Amino acid sequence: MRKVATAPGADAASGAVPGVATGAVPRVARPGAMDDRAPGAPRLAPWLFLAPLLVFAAVFLVLPLGFSIYLTFTRWNPLGSPSWVGLKQYEYLLTRDPVFWDTLGHTFIVAGGLVLFGVPLSLALAAVFSRAKGRRVWRAIFYLPQVTNIVAIAYIWQFLLDDRYGLVNRGLGLLGYAGPDWLTDGTWAMVSVIVVMVWYELGKNMLVFSAAIDGIDPQVIEAATLDGASGPRVFASITVPLIRPAVVFVTVTSFITGMGWFALILAMTNGGPRGATDVTALYMYRMAFEDLRMGRASAAAMILFAIIAVIAVLQFRLLRERAA
Amino acid sequence: MQRLLTAVATLAATTAAAQDAPITVAMHYTEEQAAPLLACFDAYEEANPGTTIEYQQLSYRDYLQTVLTSRIAGQAPDIYNVYSIWAAQMVDNDVLAPVPDDLGSFVTDTYAGGTVGAATIDGTLWGVPTEVSTYMLVSNMALLREAGIEEPPTTWDELRAAAEAVTTRNDQGRIKTAGFAFAESSSGAGVTHPFYTLMFSKGQDVYAEDYATANLGSEAAVEAASQLAGLVQDGLTDRTVDAYDDFPAGGVGMMIMANWYESAIRDGLGDGFEDVVVSQIPTGEDWRTMQYAFFMGVDSGSDRQEAAWDVVRFVNSTDSAAADGGPSCVGQMMADLGALTANADDNAALEEPDAFTKPFQDALAERAISQPNVLQASEIEGLIGQTLDTVIAGEAEPGPAMEDLNTRVEDILFEFY
Repeated sequence: MRKVATAPGADAASGAVPGVATGAVPRVARPGAMDDRAPGAPRLAPWLFLAPLLVFAAVFLVLPLGFSIYLTFTRWNPLGSPSWVGLKQYEYLLTRDPVFWDTLGHTFIVAGGLVLFGVPLSLALAAVFSRAKGRRVWRAIFYLPQVTNIVAIAYIWQFLLDDRYGLVNRGLGLLGYAGPDWLTDGTWAMVSVIVVMVWYELGKNMLVFSAAIDGIDPQVIEAATLDGASGPRVFASITVPLIRPAVVFVTVTSFITGMGWFALILAMTNGGPRGATDVTALYMYRMAFEDLRMGRASAAAMILFAIIAVIAVLQFRLLRERAA
Repeated sequence: MQRLLTAVATLAATTAAAQDAPITVAMHYTEEQAAPLLACFDAYEEANPGTTIEYQQLSYRDYLQTVLTSRIAGQAPDIYNVYSIWAAQMVDNDVLAPVPDDLGSFVTDTYAGGTVGAATIDGTLWGVPTEVSTYMLVSNMALLREAGIEEPPTTWDELRAAAEAVTTRNDQGRIKTAGFAFAESSSGAGVTHPFYTLMFSKGQDVYAEDYATANLGSEAAVEAASQLAGLVQDGLTDRTVDAYDDFPAGGVGMMIMANWYESAIRDGLGDGFEDVVVSQIPTGEDWRTMQYAFFMGVDSGSDRQEAAWDVVRFVNSTDSAAADGGPSCVGQMMADLGALTANADDNAALEEPDAFTKPFQDALAERAISQPNVLQASEIEGLIGQTLDTVIAGEAEPGPAMEDLNTRVEDILFEFY
């Protein structure tokens, strides 16, 4: 007789899961009742239903990923055919390409800036607007950049931050101050990129935090308040611990976003001035599509992927341990 | 992999031939800009029943990527308009077919030598030159005269003196009117091309003849980089000023610029365009400049190479002239665009160029040296541009920076030569 798998904690006799209403219809069919297959015959139906997804994943995920991994061991200009070079692309990037290390440094600065400034700011705004009147309108306003074309956003900020004619420096000029060179000084350009990225991501992160805050039982807050806890104390000791899963989620996704984002930088500074905002993803893009070095760009992508994967796992573990 | 790609390409080519598909011509000009050429295609189709020509506009920025993608898909155009610095890579990967002998003779007999060089790789001619651009000093004499300068400078010292006289700043110390300006471009051409003009004027080539080594750490290269950097370090310009935007806006005294920017300057300055003067690269009597070119080439995988070359010959020769004694279709198109052609027949047939264009055309014949057709030219020029930018911004010393650049460029050359 075929064994029927039961969920952990389920009643082995009835197949029912504790805490879940089963209703009149038995949830687990008796062995053999609906299955006319010969013993040992493969179960086709699940595979048939999964087939579209599996084919999609194979064509658009596994194949490109596998091809990309293969390319890391080759030198390939897409006008010709790949030639095998072993680990040379990795060796070049890791030992002989100072620009790659520079771009990695910039990538960490961008991702770090997004996490350090973006996460607390969106959390604070979510907390403030969770009790504000018309909070849905505010959330929608903060979410607007997410539904705006990223290139348009880059151009708008270019106009605002233009060193000579931008609104920001014009305004500072009226007050008698010479504003900084937002886009032509390396340090300020990086600050500008992080500011725009934080602004762009703010609404999305705010939504996640808002949903988490709205999910807190009001009685808990009420009890703390009755016990004399101040607003900041309630936020720090009640709200934040209770929404820790959302904090973990936003932190990790912000970090991953920051590590891989390049569209805004491409349109806003194109990695300049003098490579000051050149991040690894943008460097990879140029390697692949401007310099036609697909092998090296794929190797850079794999290195970046490995770094993101390791750090994301570490972040998850660290934040979960703290939660525990 | 190669077999798969070849099979796909062959299958596509066979299918296309069976359907008698049109000869496709891929260029970066808009249909409006290419109007004389499109009219020419119609005339060719009429004279050659059964032949159809299709025009594809590809963005200049994505041209090379589109070409390689279309080749992988087996849908490559038959005729390309190739920027000369892409040529080495396309030739190295067997994308282009060599020019047939009779057409080759037409090119060498009709076009200026420097421009023929732009379409020549390792002694083989790969296409028929179309648009040519060269660099000159472009001055807004209204600003120079206001500052007491009556003639455009002819030496670097004179340029510095003129730039100093023209430069003004606002209350916050920002440049209001810049004596000189570099153009901002993502490819780095805005600084790289003026740098080449200085290097060439010093009699220094960018690479050794066999392209195995570079001369970017040479005395001439370091001196040229120092000259450009000196303009920023001495406050005669800065990197917040962009020649592309600020010269047409009347905020820049001088720039080293290519002829194709004429229409933008004309549009920006309006009546003030009369005060714009084009003059020699300000490096003394031995001045030289840089030219780059586009040329029409045929895909090596095209199953109708002969017909494609015939179309190329037709549109570039006076056989395609709209009227007797007129220029070729391509020549007419260049004239309409304000661009240059190195085709002697076209230049003879076209009206005398305007005062802005004439010095560029003269320089093309006498002083212009072709931008080197080296493999990975785009990548190398990006590196040169970034290094020059760093030197110009005062973030690196010219000597060590150029030496380091030379090493990195030679690393790339070592892969291919």
